Amino acid sequence: MTLTYVPADSAFHRLDPRSKLFLQVAFATAAYAYTTPQGLAVLTTVAVGCVWAAGETVRTVAWGYRFSAPFLLVAPIVAGVTIGQPWFHLADAFSTGLASYRIAIVLLVAGSFVRSTPVRESRAAIQWLLPGRPGRILGVGVALVFRFLPLLRHDLVSTRAAVHARCGTERPVHRRMRIVAVAGIARALGRADRLATALTARCFAWNPTLPTLRFSRADGPVVLLATGLVVAAIVRIA
Amino acid sequence: MATTSESVDLVGQESTRNLARAALFAALVGAFAYVSFPFPLSPAPVTLQVLGVFLTGVLLGPVWGATALVIYLAAGALGAPIFAGGAGGIGHLVGATAGYLWSYPVAAGIIGFVVHRGPTLRDLGTVGVPTLVGGLIAGTVVIYAAGVTGLTLVLGLGPVEATVQGALVFLPAEAAKIAAVIGIVRSDALAAV
Repeated sequence: MTLTYVPADSAFHRLDPRSKLFLQVAFATAAYAYTTPQGLAVLTTVAVGCVWAAGETVRTVAWGYRFSAPFLLVAPIVAGVTIGQPWFHLADAFSTGLASYRIAIVLLVAGSFVRSTPVRESRAAIQWLLPGRPGRILGVGVALVFRFLPLLRHDLVSTRAAVHARCGTERPVHRRMRIVAVAGIARALGRADRLATALTARCFAWNPTLPTLRFSRADGPVVLLATGLVVAAIVRIA
Repeated sequence: MATTSESVDLVGQESTRNLARAALFAALVGAFAYVSFPFPLSPAPVTLQVLGVFLTGVLLGPVWGATALVIYLAAGALGAPIFAGGAGGIGHLVGATAGYLWSYPVAAGIIGFVVHRGPTLRDLGTVGVPTLVGGLIAGTVVIYAAGVTGLTLVLGLGPVEATVQGALVFLPAEAAKIAAVIGIVRSDALAAV
């Protein structure tokens, strides 16, 4: 299972995507400024609060990020190990461990955004944040990635199944990579060209109608919290 | 009921094609993150993600190749499950692997620029193997230099520890990917597309 948007009626689902993005950035900034046991303890409560406000459990969101775990768990051990006496520096491992933990809670807040924000709203937020053509290219591109990812994954999975069925696993790795990649690219380019024709036929425009973004009363406390986090981070750094 | 009227600003045919290709390549790099091969010398299974970055630079050129990977980062930040192992969210852009991710658009741009000798695309059939290898090695250097820098900044590892954990163990697999890219570009497999 991967982490994607789930329709629901939680507090986070009702928020404007811009205030959620602001909270994420503010949270990450604060987490970098306060990488101390006390600072991270306070931020953990905020992160868990975000997960609950998105109608999720910490376990579900953390499971969605399980592939980050090896990097985060191995780093403190690598940092602590030294060649020669005393073989292991506890202080080095501890500071890297705090850094790893900091990333884990930043991911929890990011996961709450992912679970509670539909793609259309994210796209509208991008175009609000980045006006003009760059924002539009990015907005359209992001929407297309969400749309085509499952299809391209399916293309690759079926290619691999075909390779396996023909004893392809006995070939050298670079040959197998080549077979899967060529099939993936050929299908992707074919899909891109058909998509371009379809878009042109449907009067693909630089100025489509997107959902109107509107701040509501519920956004107030979130924007305040985010502003507080940014101010706290600035105070600490300055 | 109030109505508003707005004129439609159509996207040109060439831009539509380039944008569709860039978006599809962004999705393909994401789909490649799910395809892993066990590699003899590497501690973790090797995914095709970096191969996707190489190919995006080679096939789309510096401008649209870099654009494709900016789209990839934006989609991942907004929650598309396209980062390593099928994860997404803005946290990754400041996380342990942030250095690698931020370097992708730059690497694709550099690879595209070296291979095509400028911003405009040239026929890949006329590109020599040394140019191709040179571009790919430059891209690999950018990705791993940024990745190792990211590990030292984010996790507070020393330069030697970060280089061992974040680069040395993966380099043999990168050599296999460079070989695969040359095979792909040199083969007839893509001649029809």
